[in-house]
Amino acid sequence: MGATDQVVAQESLIGQRIPKMDAPDKTSGRTRYIDDIDVPGQLHARILRSTQVHAKIRSIDTAAARALPGVHAVITARDVPWQRPIGVAKDHLPLKTDRVRSLRDEVAAVAADTAEIAEAAVRLIKVDYEPLPILSDPLEALKPGAPLIHPEPHGADGSAQLKPGGPVAFTGKPDNVAMTFDYAQGDVVAGEAESDMVVEDTFRLHYVTHCCMGVSGVIADFDPKGNLLLYSNTQVPFLHKREFAELLGIDPGRIRIIQPPIGGGFGSKLDIYPFEPIVIFLAQITRRPVKLVFTRAEEFLASPTRQPVLLKLRSGCKRDGTLTFRSVETLHDNGAYTSWGATTPFVMMQTISSLYRVPHCQYHTTAVYTNNPYAGSFRGYGNLQATFAVEAHMDKLADALGMDPLEFRLKNAQDPGEVTPQGMQFKTCGLKQCLTTAAARGDYQRKRRTNAARWHDGNPIKRGVGIASMLHVGGGAKIYPSDGCGTILKIDDFAHVTLITGASEIGQGSETVLAQLVCEELGLPLSAVTVVNNDTDITPWDVGVHASRTTFIAGNSAIGAARQAKAKILGAAAAKSGLAAEELDLKGGHVVRKAGGERVLDLGKFMRSLHFADKAQLVMTTFYYEPPSKHQDKQFKGDVSAAYAWASQVCEVEVDMDTGIVRLLKVTGAHDVGRVLNRLGIEGQIEGGVVMGQGYALTENLMVEGGITRNPNFRDYKLVTAPEIPEMDISFIETMDGEGPQGAKGVGEAPAICIAAAVANAIYNATGTRIYAAPFTPENVYRALRGAAEPPAWPAA
Amino acid sequence: MSIKVEIGFNLNGVARRVSVPADLSALRMLREELALTGTKYGCGEGECGACTILVDGATVNSCLMFAADCDGRDVVTIEGLAASKRGERLREAFVKHGAVQCGFCTPGFVVQATHLLEKHPRASADEIQRGIEGNLCRCTGYRKIVEAIADAAQTVK
Amino acid sequence: MSAIERYCAPTSLAEAVEVLRGGDVTIFAGGTDVMVQSQIGKAQFKPVLMNIRRIAGMGGIRDEGKTIRIGALTTMTELLDSTLVRERLGILRQACDHFASDQLRNAGTLGGNICNASPAGDTLVPLLVLNARVVLASKPNGSVEQRTVPLVQFFAGPGRTHRLPGELLTEIELPAPPAGFHGTFFKFGTRPALDIATISIGLGAVRDGRTLRDVRVAYGSVAPTPIRGPRTEAALEGRTVDAATIEAALHAAAEEVHPISDVRASDWYRNELIRNTLRRMLSHVHQG
Repeated sequence: MGATDQVVAQESLIGQRIPKMDAPDKTSGRTRYIDDIDVPGQLHARILRSTQVHAKIRSIDTAAARALPGVHAVITARDVPWQRPIGVAKDHLPLKTDRVRSLRDEVAAVAADTAEIAEAAVRLIKVDYEPLPILSDPLEALKPGAPLIHPEPHGADGSAQLKPGGPVAFTGKPDNVAMTFDYAQGDVVAGEAESDMVVEDTFRLHYVTHCCMGVSGVIADFDPKGNLLLYSNTQVPFLHKREFAELLGIDPGRIRIIQPPIGGGFGSKLDIYPFEPIVIFLAQITRRPVKLVFTRAEEFLASPTRQPVLLKLRSGCKRDGTLTFRSVETLHDNGAYTSWGATTPFVMMQTISSLYRVPHCQYHTTAVYTNNPYAGSFRGYGNLQATFAVEAHMDKLADALGMDPLEFRLKNAQDPGEVTPQGMQFKTCGLKQCLTTAAARGDYQRKRRTNAARWHDGNPIKRGVGIASMLHVGGGAKIYPSDGCGTILKIDDFAHVTLITGASEIGQGSETVLAQLVCEELGLPLSAVTVVNNDTDITPWDVGVHASRTTFIAGNSAIGAARQAKAKILGAAAAKSGLAAEELDLKGGHVVRKAGGERVLDLGKFMRSLHFADKAQLVMTTFYYEPPSKHQDKQFKGDVSAAYAWASQVCEVEVDMDTGIVRLLKVTGAHDVGRVLNRLGIEGQIEGGVVMGQGYALTENLMVEGGITRNPNFRDYKLVTAPEIPEMDISFIETMDGEGPQGAKGVGEAPAICIAAAVANAIYNATGTRIYAAPFTPENVYRALRGAAEPPAWPAA
Repeated sequence: MSIKVEIGFNLNGVARRVSVPADLSALRMLREELALTGTKYGCGEGECGACTILVDGATVNSCLMFAADCDGRDVVTIEGLAASKRGERLREAFVKHGAVQCGFCTPGFVVQATHLLEKHPRASADEIQRGIEGNLCRCTGYRKIVEAIADAAQTVK
Repeated sequence: MSAIERYCAPTSLAEAVEVLRGGDVTIFAGGTDVMVQSQIGKAQFKPVLMNIRRIAGMGGIRDEGKTIRIGALTTMTELLDSTLVRERLGILRQACDHFASDQLRNAGTLGGNICNASPAGDTLVPLLVLNARVVLASKPNGSVEQRTVPLVQFFAGPGRTHRLPGELLTEIELPAPPAGFHGTFFKFGTRPALDIATISIGLGAVRDGRTLRDVRVAYGSVAPTPIRGPRTEAALEGRTVDAATIEAALHAAAEEVHPISDVRASDWYRNELIRNTLRRMLSHVHQG
């Protein structure tokens, strides 16, 4: 083989429209999700859930269930004395012992030959409950003398005695407060004293739920040596390995998690929920593989929700429009057990303290146990709730000053290089460009004036525009001990690349963007890459898919491994060709001259020659990328992400005053994404996020009353459907982040975050009525317009 | 357990005979008796469209259809469309336009869109949106799905 | 889940009503209501499951001059696609266009929608406006007999009709609407279809300029069954639609609708919607 003078031209892949690698399988029905997987010899599980909202369990009679032909095991807490509490605060036992605290509580479980038999057996289990008073309002739960939802500690096996070293179920709190958070920067009293305008309001954000199209499921399979194989849709497989190991009292090395393609994540799978340990227990006891798949009703009833929040915000500014302070108190309904919803203050305080420049800030959250469903993590993670309040006040303060709301925001928008009082370093910051781009393309200022002039024109159909921005982490979030991701990369004899990444794919297209980044480094087409990302025995560690971190962190990890491989190849190619390594590059499947692009070596042939040489060389590299962010200190201060992302959205609505129906006509968004990598993928993320935000603002409402979910079905829990979507105009602001892979920042959560805020501002522009509680369903809007609604009120001290 | 019913029908172009419990849904028959897992359980109540199949040329929610009612009829699932020219343009359009993210809803959309375009070959964007109103997607926001179907409408003549 | 002991799919009406005579039968055609109710535990299958979809002669839409006949097995899609329905029964077509989804319209039958008797049933309000009658067949004494019941007398309560257990609803009869008759159906929802109606209104009349004759008004989701609104009709019959007439009609409507509060809406809001919607519908007439 020799050099030729043929020039290899290869367009950069960055910014191109690259179809998702698994899309052909998905459009053919070939992809196997958890429900499509069957393990030979598997049993089917069903869970008996509480029929009481709050009650003591006097007795459980499983005799009839056990006797049913085809039933292999019926278990209650008594059968698994080794179970340990799970969840964020370790207050959650998989199988309940002495009491149930909410309607979803798991009381017993069955493993049987078929799902029908398991279901029939569950119906035969008799539970004797002694009802307890129901606390469905956090305010009631806070009252002195309120019954404790988590009273004295007792052993995980239900016994009153605590066995030394044995697992314990409780939280040991003297009241129903689950968690509190406090954050402060500057001095809000001084800030208020400097203010010429001060506004205070209370906002209420409601329950919604993820509604992944694929319902939850898991398969647990122990091998004869006691090693566990779990087919799980977890978004944090390595964290779960460790947690399940603790739960079972075995070495984490003996647990393998395989992640089947997921039917949607959105943050719903970032915590351990009881159904997974319960299925593992059934597999342990029956010594058979056990599979459980939820029904849709169970998905609604038993899945974590988004965190509902009652939020009081007091904000101020000077006459010249400079923001002075924000003071926030929130009440979080913690539900019966603690999941990630309780920790949304981590994100909320970032928005309160740093969305636009605010010198003084105070933040407090009280999360209170109730007998309601518990909240988990959900795309945006508290930011939708916080942004709703902040952006309402940005409009209100601007109006109070007689200042244009866009100008007011621009005046307080940060610039690149700023460090916030919370310690966040805005190395790149496209907030101003986002605002001006969205406002210009959405014709915001002119429309706002025209609409406001029509308030009393007698026409019941009104139009309104509203603007809102958001700030979110865009370069990971250092909340676990590591925020890193590992990659193993091998290039075979045919220049085919296997990219083994710790980063999971949850439908957002991570596998495609990682392949794209590697191909860009190695000068190969997408077809030359296979991505392996779903087996903890094979893939290196990654903390998980959350905080919009995957493109940034896994991307840098993949690039790191690819660059090492490239260096190895070019070093060897230099030796072979007599040219210096610095003069060479990889393009179009060849080693080429960097300067002119002439072909030097065919890459596949060269790989084979390296392999079959006297001193064989295989090209296999590894790279672990840890972003240069910091853990927050005990005051929640620190540069928790390697980069931050912004977006501004202008929402245009039509309001029918006779019915309260609000139609979202158009969303004009500008997103600071650092750099567009896969244009097709990023558009899809944004369009999907916008519609998710639309649902949160206008149509979705999980109605929980007295601890009971009234609408656990798609008939009455309204997801947005195709005819309802708005027109979308999306712009990308490319601030070229220095740390981001090819300059990119994370975007997964961003597009959902400010829709509700912008829509509320638009409803005000259309009607002159401000709405402080979501969702803006027709009846809620109609009541507000008619003055027939009680605005949310902060409880009197 | 309910009694079993013997049925014979055409499935993806091949004659089949199956014995099914009288109360079994067509969805469960396809997934559990016939190992065709492309058609999905999304809600079991006819609200999400993930279970959409073609029966005698029209789409229905297989979760609400009695398997026994397949007797004597012509049934086509996503697997049948995947293997045929008919489904090819649509599938290529879905891939090309980024209309697939987690992909769980995708088979239902492809089947529904096939029927929509056969009935309304020149469907406008509005008609497409109405035509897929019975299919829910949580990932894409529908925009690219509509674009993919519109593109496939152009190319199929 | 109760076990089914017998399944049949009769091809003739005689066969079907013979099975019904034996009692304990769950009937289905498209299955779109029966399956859902079984799934959510609202209803259990009876020991006999009868598929009526193959019965000959229960489909089709026929114009017989003074009467239009619609077979009970006619699907919503067939109604939507029918030129006859579009030209002569426009108000029914409007309801079908706002019904559920394409998949459900392809399977759901008119007979099924009637027998399911939801107070929110989309086709029921237009059928009441069109003075529909249902034809019921049975075999009480060895031969097939029929009786006809005006639809307005057919509903017994939410989800219940006056169909006897041995009877099968075979056909819907509609007196041909008079010349110049125009009907409008309005269903409240945020989506074009899919939604269960929070309220619905059917308004039909012969228009003589701005004067209305042969007025029929029907309401859905404001009572235990879909209802006609005789007081609203009386307030409009023979009147010129002006501000005073509209106000009188709204007043009459408020007296005869009695909505409840449920997971979809409060009673107060439903009353507001009825008033505002009826006003809007009549204002369109007022404006010509």
